[in-house]
Amino acid sequence: MSLGLELLGPPFLACLVLTGIHAYLGLHVLARGVIFVDLALAQVAALGMATALLAGYAPHHDATYYYALAFTAAGAAVFALTRERRGAVPQEAIIGIVYAVTAALAVLVLDRVPQGGEHIKQLLVGSILSVTVDDVGRIAGLYTLIGLVHWLGRRPLLALSLGGEVRGAALWDFAFYFTFGLVVTSSVRVAGVLLVFSYLIVPAVVGAWLADTIGRRLAIGWTVGTLVSVAGLGASYALDLPTGATIVAVFGAGLVLVAGALGVARLGARVRREGARALARVGAAAGALACLAGVALAAFPQADHWWLDAVEQLAPAVQLAFLTPYERGVVADSRAALVRAQAELARLRALQADVEWGRREMDPAMQERLRQFLVSRDEIAAGDRLVLRTLKGRARERQRWALGLPLAAAGAGGALLAWRAARRPARAAARPAPAGARAR
Amino acid sequence: MLLPLVVAATISVAATTTDLRDLVAAVGGDRVRVESLTDPRQDPHAREIHPRQLARLREAELLVRIGLDHEPWLARAVRTVGPPAHDLDLSRAVRLLGTETPRLRADARPHVHAFGNTHYWLDPENARPITARILEALAALRPADRPVFEANRARFLAELDARLPRWRARLAPFRGTRVVAVHDTWPYFAERFGLRIVATVEETPGVPPSPAYLGALIERMRQAGVRVVLAEPGAPAALLRRLGEAAGARAVTLAPSVGSDPEATDYLTLFEVNVARLARALGGP
Repeated sequence: MSLGLELLGPPFLACLVLTGIHAYLGLHVLARGVIFVDLALAQVAALGMATALLAGYAPHHDATYYYALAFTAAGAAVFALTRERRGAVPQEAIIGIVYAVTAALAVLVLDRVPQGGEHIKQLLVGSILSVTVDDVGRIAGLYTLIGLVHWLGRRPLLALSLGGEVRGAALWDFAFYFTFGLVVTSSVRVAGVLLVFSYLIVPAVVGAWLADTIGRRLAIGWTVGTLVSVAGLGASYALDLPTGATIVAVFGAGLVLVAGALGVARLGARVRREGARALARVGAAAGALACLAGVALAAFPQADHWWLDAVEQLAPAVQLAFLTPYERGVVADSRAALVRAQAELARLRALQADVEWGRREMDPAMQERLRQFLVSRDEIAAGDRLVLRTLKGRARERQRWALGLPLAAAGAGGALLAWRAARRPARAAARPAPAGARAR
Repeated sequence: MLLPLVVAATISVAATTTDLRDLVAAVGGDRVRVESLTDPRQDPHAREIHPRQLARLREAELLVRIGLDHEPWLARAVRTVGPPAHDLDLSRAVRLLGTETPRLRADARPHVHAFGNTHYWLDPENARPITARILEALAALRPADRPVFEANRARFLAELDARLPRWRARLAPFRGTRVVAVHDTWPYFAERFGLRIVATVEETPGVPPSPAYLGALIERMRQAGVRVVLAEPGAPAALLRRLGEAAGARAVTLAPSVGSDPEATDYLTLFEVNVARLARALGGP
């Protein structure tokens, strides 16, 4: 299994390189409020690639890259020229239009290109798992150069992004968008659009939440990017999931985690300031959710109630209490049979795979018997699952009134009480305040 | 609506793929006008239908299709222009492979072909039952032309019979050789010519494999000495390169359909091309 981990070496290096440049550019993008500019520029670059394919170049030909580059330069010029400082049209409008039109043009072009759909799909999904050390070296070199350019021009570039006035603003804007487009075009080839977008925005957002100065935000962004890369690659390996999509999902989870921690910290500060009353709103929301879950259970007992599934997983008694003794016996039997079947199926599938790959000999008649046995065993396991599902349905019919209605009532009552608790002292505090002000 | 005064002598047929188009043409000869609704160079599953193809579908007296879930776009097209007068689903003509996709499996993975593998035209022997059904469908529309269709089919099958032993002989030395396929396109072809496809690289087309899966695959490929990966045009190049470096296997690009590769110009040439490329990749003459 170490080979799977070995395969993650070059992708990890690629992730570090992406973190390095994107967390920095993300600060600019966030400050400028042009969040979707990278999607638009990536789409412009994709249109360039599509055009190159139409002209007869292979997807990995150098000419294809230069087509993408030329299109990106044109896109950068459009964004630099259309930046209105105090206009009625925000920059995002132009970015959105560029995105939609170039995406549609790419569809039209790719319709005439062999395997066009495949190429664009691969471009969007990316193949971070397939990067080689050479790929990483190439983008690392390019990004070092671009980083140098940004270091030399840091004053006007930062001033422009932060809303200041600079001489030759259009030129600096073009320099920003062009270098940015260069990075996005190269990164997308390696990692796909979604991953590039995440590396750009999420570290910058976390940085903006937690710090005020550019330097600190950058440090936080780099830390976040690196941690997420490690966690995402690890999760992709451990949970057997496609790598790029997993990293993006971990970015989302990380953001939720940070936001949750910030929320809890803020709530804690309020509790210290105002006492337990600060929790009333949270209580009201929780009560409302509980009420909603109860009503849903009472109204549609056979629908999917994931929260109840989770509760039953933790405390099987919640389901078993609603079954007859006979039904409980059936549940226990089916569960035990399923556990046995899963172990047996896993063992036999491994055996089948060994035979397929030639690690073990087995005569053809025996192989056929094994195949048929696996199929029938699978069907029996499916039957056991069906039994469990049916019994769950029966329990739900009974939980509907005995669990759904009390939960709805308790939730509604709790929400109401908490809501009133949240408002009453506020009003009580608000009333004497004007009187006091008048007296003064 | 006015009925046309003169019934056209030729039968207008819409085939969903170029392979079926060729087989219809082989039986119908000059008595049919047949066109493929899809471009073989595009993903057959994710087809965006054009107005011109809708018009073709509406004009057609007979629709010939692969069936099962091979043409998810077709239902939408038929809803738009109305059902064809005659509908020939050829998946009923052949013995299907890969039908035992387990239902209700907890570890079920999304599978594009839930009712059996649809790439059955890649077994040249399947051209016999397929052309038989096409013959029946055409003869039902123009009973007077039945002898012509029968003669055409006999001529086509004679040509097939002449080439089939040569293809088999060329791949015979590699009987039982283990290969890996990028997508689940080749089970019929492999069964006919005695190859063993032991794994697919992308279990769900378009979704890259996970590192653990790829790692296990590479390890098994090294141990089993798998030398060849069957790919289609448009297969993920970076992934194949990676696989080649790590496992020492070479990707050979086969043509899954007539016209998907410039060299694969008709149904029989399709097999000429694929057999030749495969034999070379496996180390044959």
